[in-house]
Amino acid sequence: MSELLNKVKDLGTEIKTHWNTPAEGKYVPYKEYKDVVIGVGANYTGSKVLEYIGFWSSCFLIMHHYKLPYLTFSVIGILNMPLGYITALIWWYVCDNLGFLPKKQERKVYLAYGLMMAFGISTILFDYSRLFDPTSKFITLLNGLEGMNATACFKTFGTHFLYSGWVGARNIFWRKKLIPKYGRYKYSLYCDVVPKCIMVILIGWLPVYNITDVATRVWVANLLFATYNVFGFGNVLEECSKRISPNLQERILVRSYPVKFSHTFNSILAIVLPVIIGALRYEWADINMYRYVIPITFITAAAFTMYLAGRIKERIPQPPIEKKVQIKFWDGMFGVLKNKYLLINTIVGLIDSLGNGMLPFVTILYFYTFRLSGLPYSLLVALISFAGTPPDLLSPYFLKRFSYKQIMIFYQLSRAIGYAIIACAMWFCGDNLNLCGTICIVVLFFMEMTKTVPTTAGHDMNVRIGDYQMYLSGERLESFAGIFGWFTGPITSFVGLIIPLMLLRYGFNSNWDVLFIDESRRNIIVIPIIVDVVGFFLMTIPYLFWDYDNKKQNMVMEVLKRRAEVTEKKAKEEGVSVSGGYTG
Amino acid sequence: MSKKEKKIAPLQEDIHLDIPEDEIWTYQVPGLAAPHINKPYKYYGLKKVIFTLVIIVAVSLSMYFSVRTVQSDTFEYSEIETGIQFDKFSNTGFITELDIDYITEVVYDENNADPNTNFTLKKDTSKPITAIRQYALNCDEKVKVINIGADVLEIDGKSFYSCWALQRIEVDENNPNYCDIDGVLYNKDKTEIICVPTDRDTYLAEKYGYAEYDEFGYRIEPAVEDENYAEYERDVLTYVIPSTVKTVGELCFNYANMTTVYIPEGLQTIETLGFYEIPRLANIYSYVPVNEVTDTHFTSQEALGEYYLSLPEGLKYIGSDAFTQCQALTYMYVPSSVTFIGHHAFWDTCYKQDKQVMGVNVINVGASEEEFKSVETGDSWRPQYDFLLFKKSVDINYSSEREIFAFATPDENK
Repeated sequence: MSELLNKVKDLGTEIKTHWNTPAEGKYVPYKEYKDVVIGVGANYTGSKVLEYIGFWSSCFLIMHHYKLPYLTFSVIGILNMPLGYITALIWWYVCDNLGFLPKKQERKVYLAYGLMMAFGISTILFDYSRLFDPTSKFITLLNGLEGMNATACFKTFGTHFLYSGWVGARNIFWRKKLIPKYGRYKYSLYCDVVPKCIMVILIGWLPVYNITDVATRVWVANLLFATYNVFGFGNVLEECSKRISPNLQERILVRSYPVKFSHTFNSILAIVLPVIIGALRYEWADINMYRYVIPITFITAAAFTMYLAGRIKERIPQPPIEKKVQIKFWDGMFGVLKNKYLLINTIVGLIDSLGNGMLPFVTILYFYTFRLSGLPYSLLVALISFAGTPPDLLSPYFLKRFSYKQIMIFYQLSRAIGYAIIACAMWFCGDNLNLCGTICIVVLFFMEMTKTVPTTAGHDMNVRIGDYQMYLSGERLESFAGIFGWFTGPITSFVGLIIPLMLLRYGFNSNWDVLFIDESRRNIIVIPIIVDVVGFFLMTIPYLFWDYDNKKQNMVMEVLKRRAEVTEKKAKEEGVSVSGGYTG
Repeated sequence: MSKKEKKIAPLQEDIHLDIPEDEIWTYQVPGLAAPHINKPYKYYGLKKVIFTLVIIVAVSLSMYFSVRTVQSDTFEYSEIETGIQFDKFSNTGFITELDIDYITEVVYDENNADPNTNFTLKKDTSKPITAIRQYALNCDEKVKVINIGADVLEIDGKSFYSCWALQRIEVDENNPNYCDIDGVLYNKDKTEIICVPTDRDTYLAEKYGYAEYDEFGYRIEPAVEDENYAEYERDVLTYVIPSTVKTVGELCFNYANMTTVYIPEGLQTIETLGFYEIPRLANIYSYVPVNEVTDTHFTSQEALGEYYLSLPEGLKYIGSDAFTQCQALTYMYVPSSVTFIGHHAFWDTCYKQDKQVMGVNVINVGASEEEFKSVETGDSWRPQYDFLLFKKSVDINYSSEREIFAFATPDENK
C-alpha cells in the first residue's frame, strides 16, 4: 500500500516538476496533457456532433425530412466521379507540398479553379438540359436516373465544379498563410470554424426539404450540403496529438491517457444529447433537433476547441518550410508506390470493401428492433462504448507485449466471429426481441472491448507509416497515398454497389419504415453482415506480411531528426529565415 | 533479460545513428527500402506511360461498373414457374399510369417536346405477366393508377410499397384471383383486402368534388370548421371494409389519409402493419352486417346495421405494428376472441402532452386477466409513454365492458 502511495507521490512530483518543461528525453510538458484533454475533447465532440449532418441516406435529416431515394446518392457519386478524379490530382500535389508551389504553377492552378467555379455557378443559374433535345436518348437516360431528371443532373454536375474550384482555391490560399504558423494538421480550424458554424445553423433553418419535386429537392439539397462541406471541422487536434512527440513511448502515452480521457466529453454528450432529443415532440424526426440542439452543441464545442487549439503542438522532425523537399507530381506518385505498408493496408481496405453499402446495423438494432429513444438509448450506447475504455487504458502494455501483426489478426478474427454470432441470432431468433437483443448487445459489448487496442495500434501505425514515407520521399505524401484507391476503385465500386442493389431488392429505398417489417429487416441486415464476415476472415491474410517493428521506426525517426537538424543548420548558415521546422 | 522482459521491451529504444551530413537523404535503414528523394527513376518515361495506362484503365472500369450498377431498366421481369414475374419498376419520371404488361421499350416522340406526353410504352402481348414481386414499385412518387390484367395470378402484399401518388389499382374483371372495389385491391372472393392506395383520398376528393389545389400542386383539404367538412370526412376520409372481408393484409392501409374505418364483425386477422401510420385515424367502428355490404363508401348508419366502438368481436390475430403511430386513436378494445397480438402492435399510439398521456392511454381487454394469459403476445405490444426519462407501458383494463359511443360519427356529424 505504501509502495502505491509512494508511486502516486512520485507521479505528483513528476507532474509538478515537468508541468511547464518536459523531462529529459521527452518532448511534451504535462500542461500540454491538460490542454489535450480539453482541446481534443472539444474538437472530437464537435466533429462527432457534425456526424448528425450529412448528405447520406442514414442522416436523420435526410431520412425524416428530405426523403431522398437511396440510390440517388450513388447516382450523384457517379456524376461527381470524373471531375473528382481530375481535381484529386491537383489536390494531392498542392497538399503534399503544403500549399507552397512554384509561382507559375500556382497561377495556373488558381486559373483552373476559377474557371471551375465560373462554370459551376453558370449551371446553377441556367438550365443546360434545355440545350438538348428532350426526346434524345441522353436526356431520357438522365430523366430515368433514380430521384433525378436532366435538369437536376446538370445542376448536380455543376455544383461539384463549384465545390471543387472553391475548395481547391481555399486550400492553396489558407495553407500558405496558416501552415507556417499553426502546422499542417490544425491550420484548417482557423479559417473554417466561423463559416462552419453559420452553415450548421443554415442547414437546420433553410426549408429546402419542403420542395415538392423530388429531383429539384435533390439538386438543391446537394448544393446546400456541398456548400456546408466546403468548410471542415475534422478531428484535427487529435491528429495533431498523434504527432505530438517523436518519442514512440510518449506518443502512445498521450494517445492512451489524455486523448482517451478527452473522449469523455463526447461520451457524456452521447448520453445527454439523445435524452434532449427524446424530449422533443417527434424525437429524431423533429426538425428542432437541427434548428437548436445540434447548432448550440456544436458552437459550444467549437468555441472551446478554438480556445485551446494553439496550445497543442505537432512535433514531426522536419526541415523548415523554406528548405523542405519540393515534391514533383510524378515523384509523389512513385514515392507512395514504394511504401510496402501502404500496399498491405490497401489490400486490407480492398477486402474490407466487401461490406460497403450496408446500412448502419447497430442503429437499426437500436431504433427498429428495440425502438429505443431517450435515456434507455443513451445508456445502452454509453454502456457499449464504455466497454472499450478499460482495455484502451492498457494499450501501452498491449503494444509492448504484442506485435502489430498479432493485434490486427486478432482484431479481424474477433470481428468475424462476433458478426457471425449476431447474424445467427438475428436469423434464427429474430422474432424473440429479448433473446436476440440480449445476444446482440453482449456480442457488441465484447466486440467493443476488443476493438480499442487495435484501433490505437492502427492509429499509431498510420503515423509511423507517415514517418516511414517521410524517410523514403522527404515528405509524408498523405494525399498522394490516395492513388491506391484508384487502383482498387474498379473492384470497390463494383462490390460496393452490389449491397445497395441487394437492399433495394429486399425493399430498402428512401422509406426506412420498411425496417419495421421483420422479414425485410432480417434480410436487409443479415445478408450484408454475412458478406462482411467473409471479409473479416480474409483480412487476416495481408497482415501476415507485416514486418515494420519498433526498432525500424526508431531508426527512421533518427534519420528524420538528423535531416531536420542538418537542413536547419545549413539554412541558418545561408542566412535564410526559417519557419515551421522541428528538429526533435 | 528474461523471456517475459524480452516480450515487453520498451517502445522507445536509445538508438544513435551516425549519419554524415552529405548522406542524410540517402541513408538506408537496415531492413527497409532505400530513400529516393529528388533522384531520377530508371526508365522514367516508360514507367510514367505504364502508370498512366493502368490508371486510365482502372478509372474507366470504376466508372463503368458504377454506372452499370445504378442504371436500372425502367421495367424488369424474370421468368418463374407460372410465367413471367414483374420484378421492378423505375419510373422514367413521367409515367403516371402503369399497366402491368410486358413492356419492351419506352418509345419517345421526337416531335413532341412535352416530357409528360412524348412517350408510349411498347408492349409484347405474347408475354403475359402472371406475378408481381414484392417491392416491384418502391417509393414511386409519380404513378397514380395501376392497371392489373386478367393474367396476373399472384400479387405480393408489398408489391406497391410507399407509392406516394398512387390513387387507384384497377383489376381486369376477368382476373381469376383478384378484383378491385373502387380502386382498392382485394382477392377475388373479397375475403382479403390487400392494398389501399396511399393517395386514394385525392381520387375520392376529385370524385366527390372536393379537390382544390394550391400553386405548388398540393391538395387543399377543407378545414374542420368548414361547413362541408362533415360531408368531406364521410366521402373522403371514411372507409367501410366490406362484410365479406376476413383479413386485412400486410401493409394494407399504411399511410392512408383517413379518420374513420368501419370493420365488419367477421374479420379475423389484421396482418403486420395493417393500419400502420395513419395519423388521423381517430375512429374504429365495427359493424354487425345483416345483409352483405359491398359498398366501401359510407352512406348511412342504417346501411351497415348495428355497430360499436373499436375492434370487432371474432377478431383473432393482430399482427406486429398493426396500429403503430395511429396517434389520433383514443380508445382501444381488444375482444376476448383475440389469441395473438404481435410485437409493437399498438406502438406509438399514445404520447405525452402537457403532462397528460394522450391517445390510447389504456388497453381495454374483454378477457379476464386469467383468460388473457393464454393470449400469445409479442414484446412491447402495449403503447408506451415517456415516464421519468424512461418508457412505461399503458395499463391493461381486464374484463372490460366495451365502451358505448363517446363522440359523433360522420353520419351524426352530418
